[in-house]
Amino acid sequence: MATNIIDPTKWVDRYSDYLFNYTIVRVNDREVANDLISETFLAGLKSMKNFKGESTERTWLISILKRKIVDYYRKINSNKGRAEVKVNYNSDDNDGDWLEEQIADLSDKTAEDTMENEELGMAILECLDQLNEKQATIFKMKTIDGIDTDAICNEFDISPSNLWVIIHRARTSLAKCLEKNWF
Amino acid sequence: MKLRELFKLNCSEAAEFCDKAQYREAGFLNKLKLRLHLIFCPPCQEYTKKNLKLTSLLKKASIKTCTKKEKERYKKQIEENL
Repeated sequence: MATNIIDPTKWVDRYSDYLFNYTIVRVNDREVANDLISETFLAGLKSMKNFKGESTERTWLISILKRKIVDYYRKINSNKGRAEVKVNYNSDDNDGDWLEEQIADLSDKTAEDTMENEELGMAILECLDQLNEKQATIFKMKTIDGIDTDAICNEFDISPSNLWVIIHRARTSLAKCLEKNWF
Repeated sequence: MKLRELFKLNCSEAAEFCDKAQYREAGFLNKLKLRLHLIFCPPCQEYTKKNLKLTSLLKKASIKTCTKKEKERYKKQIEENL
């Protein structure tokens, strides 16, 4: 099996959206997410020599990021001191009811939905790896960021028909890649 | 016949209009042509089905990406520390 090589000059184009998507749902703050990703890249540079090529660059970077996120939560928790849980009953009538009885209805699946959607997003970004960076960038700009056809064509100096060929390829390969688990 | 010419569409054109329709850029006449083509073309029906599904998955995933500025900042930082 071929070992994976490491190339920091490609990290941003290849993985920043992936890392960002992972971080933003967890910290819910753009600036914090940016800081954590910066730290991840820097930590990656520092420990590059430890990269053995057994996993992919992506897996390796995300494992660094996960640790950074945990550290972040540890830090803000120690700043705050211990969390205090206070239970107030709404009225004297239900005084003595168990806390468990007061939690949200379990049939409400929002949290699970969010998790599934996040997983889907990560799967999509992973699948986009099969395209080259330029094609993936163009597809993301068009589809995710909703940027105008003309604006993209100007930026990359391509014709609209070039753009649609790229979009077509991207969509075909994405559908194929997602087919097994998501269609 | 002229009318027939007007509605003629091959599969690669059909795919193109189907792609454009996912971004609301297909135009009325092209969408009509596509619809007519789909009636007779199972492979294009299949492609359209998958394409629609992909659009709904992409919407559902609501992926968040970094801005260009943010990416440039990362790049600069990496270059400085290489």
